[in-house]
Order: sequence, then C-alpha cells, then structure tokens
Amino acid sequence: MRIVLDRARCEGHGLCEEAAPQLMHLDDEGELVLDREEISVTDSAANAEANAAVRVCPVAALRIA
Amino acid sequence: MSRPTEQAGRVDRVLIVGNGIAGLTAADTLRGAGFEGDLTIVGDETHAAYSRPALSKALLHDGDDLSHELAPPTHGATELLGVRATGLDVERRRVALDDGTDLPYDRLVIATGSRARRLSDLPEELTLRGLDDALHLRSRLAEKPSVIVVGGGPLGMEIASGCLAAGSQVTLVSQGVPLLLQLGPHLGEVFTAAARERGLTVVDTEYARLERGGAQAGASRVVLDDGTVLEADLVVTAVGDVPNTEWLASSGLVTSGPLTVDSRGLVRPDVAAAGDLAAFPTPYGIRRIPLWSSAIEQSKVAAAALIRGQEAPTLHFQPYFWTEQFGLSLKAVGYMPVVGPPAYVDGGPGGPALMRWAREDGTGVAAALNYRIPIPRLRRVTQQAA
Repeated sequence: MRIVLDRARCEGHGLCEEAAPQLMHLDDEGELVLDREEISVTDSAANAEANAAVRVCPVAALRIA
Repeated sequence: MSRPTEQAGRVDRVLIVGNGIAGLTAADTLRGAGFEGDLTIVGDETHAAYSRPALSKALLHDGDDLSHELAPPTHGATELLGVRATGLDVERRRVALDDGTDLPYDRLVIATGSRARRLSDLPEELTLRGLDDALHLRSRLAEKPSVIVVGGGPLGMEIASGCLAAGSQVTLVSQGVPLLLQLGPHLGEVFTAAARERGLTVVDTEYARLERGGAQAGASRVVLDDGTVLEADLVVTAVGDVPNTEWLASSGLVTSGPLTVDSRGLVRPDVAAAGDLAAFPTPYGIRRIPLWSSAIEQSKVAAAALIRGQEAPTLHFQPYFWTEQFGLSLKAVGYMPVVGPPAYVDGGPGGPALMRWAREDGTGVAAALNYRIPIPRLRRVTQQAA
C-alpha cells in the first residue's frame, strides 16, 4: 500500500503522527512529512499504523492508494 | 445449558451500534486486535461515516465537499445503514432494530452518539449535527438570508462565522460572552472581538425562545429574556447536544442522558460504550467530552477491553480541541475552560501565539492561536512550567 498526502488539506493537527509515529511526523513548521510512503503488504504493523493514521485525520488529508 | 458463544471469554459476534467515528474506530480496533469473528455495524444514517468537525468548518465556510469524507472502511463488517436500534436486552444479548430484526451478540459497543438539543418543535428551527443538516444549511445560505444563530459555544460561533462568510447578515444570541463557558474569558474575548470586527452582531440574553412568524413567509422570531423580539429569514440553534440513549431504556442500563462507563469504557463486561453519549472518569469527575479525539480514544480503549477485559489499558485522555472561525484557528490541549490571562510561550497578544495556562494541580492547558504546531509538541507545552 501507499500513503498519499493531500498537502492542501492538511491542517497540521498531527493526530496521524500520534497514530503512526513510525511512518510520519510533523516538522518544526508543523508540515507533515511522510517518512515511509510505500508499505509492504506483509508488514502488518505498519499497515495497521497507516490505516489508523488515515482514519484519525479529521480533514481527509490522508488516504491509502 | 449455555451455548459456547455465551461462555465467558468466547467472542464470535461483536455488534456495534453507531456508525460515527466512535463505531468506526471500535471496528478498526477490534480487527487490529486480531478479532476475526462476525462484526456488524448498525448506523441510522444512510451515509458512510464522515468527519463531523468538518461540517461546521470547511464544508460550511469554503464549500469544500470533500473535507468531511473518511477513508472507506477496511474492517470488513456487515454494515446495516439507515436502521435504528430500538431496544437492548442485556440478558438475552440481543439488540432490536426498527426494521423488525433482532440481532444477537457476544459483545456490544454502544456508540449512538448524541443529537442536537432543540429549543422548539418548529421545523423552521435549524440545527447542525449531521451531514444532511450541513448540506441543507449551506443550500439555504445561497440566497444570503438574514440569520440568527442561538448559542455562543464553539458550534454556534463556527456556524455564525460560516454564515457571515457566505454573505449573510448574522446575529449571534449568546448567554454571556461567546465561548466563555467552553474556553474561558481570555479566548472568549479574543474570538468575540474577531467576530465583531468581521461584522457579527452579538446579543446577550439569559434565555431565548423561538416563535414562528415574522415579516417574511417562513421567517422565525427569537424572543429574548427582556422581551426583545429578533427576526430573521433563518434561525439556527446550537445549544448543546443530547445523548441518544433512549433506546436503552428497557435495558436497565440508563433511561436517558449519558451512559456512564468505567475507566476502560465498559458498562458491564460484555457491553462497552464510547463517543458523545458516554460519561467516563476524568481527573475532574465523570464527564462526557463530546469531541472528535475523545470519541477515538474512548473507542480504542473500549474495544480492547471488550476482548481483553481487565488486562486492557485504562483510558488516559487529554482533550484535544480545535476550532476555525472569523479568521482565527485555535488548537488546544487540556481541560478547558481556563481562567486568567495566559503565559505566552511564543508570540504575543494580537498575533500568532502559543499560550499556556497553569492549573493548581500542576497540569496545564496549551493553546495555539493562528500558530501551526504539531499536537505532540502542544501536549508537551501543557507540561512545561511557564
């Protein structure tokens, strides 16, 4: 799977970072950085984190492709 | 003789009543915890689950039709949408639905949320709670009607801001300074000043009553405590929410009002509740905290507890709240309202600011006003000595 960020929508809440600290973080300016975009289907922990991060975003800025 | 599914610990069927973010999170959490059994979600709306905070923000302000959309579910649950739960029998472990079906469960998640509290039965009284409400209000705003918003809380203020942005003349009817009760005097004043600057008329009253009629057909009137009558083409009320728990009356769990849960979100070992209807233990007593992040955190804990019982972690929730209105964007962490002036961690009055209020118990509230900051950092600011 691949995580896709719609940067125009992102408001920098950072709830995704709390849900998926291994995959993404907000930088010092509050801009979201995807540390890992491509996730192997066999990496179940990362898959779960990615899904949780997408779910928690209240402004639909993240999706799974 | 009891069937295997009714024995303690054996969980084949989980039923989730409520398809908001709490129900959705419960389903995701159950699957994430390895539950592979039969999962059913009941939702009274026909829409897929959506982001409620977006309804009174981007959807209303910017006409953004996508901001409330959530990623499609991956939980693989059977979804029964457009049906409402009407009864619960905790002994027989069954939930009755308004289409006549009766669903069995081994574990139940109650997540039916809350609805808008209304001031009248008049159809002219609009509220904003669900997606249909938001789309209806937005379509009505196309004609730039005059608007009265009753309620000076965050929702009422966001609605007023959206109506102003849509070109309407807007009067906000509030008990005291808007946002005072929810955020405290400092932020209440900051937001009210910004609102007035943008053209909002704020009217103070102890109470308000709605009446039908006025100069225009379809118009409504709002009567204030001193008898003053306000008229507008459109009246929207935002005066709080009422937990949707009446369907539980026959269960013996609760007859109306919030459903109280323990620190793991459980009502009893086989029944959890999460989201806007649940009152849970906080450092300041048993409270209902109807916020997006609250629903998510409650639901994660509750779903885990349904499977793992007392081994599951308890809820340690620090509220996260945000609002966008009148050109201001606020993100806040901690229990509000806060009294007194803030300490400025960065920035200052009138500009982008990172603020902190210390509480007597050693905890704090951190708020970022027009100041971009990740939540994990904002959480750390709550703990700093100012």
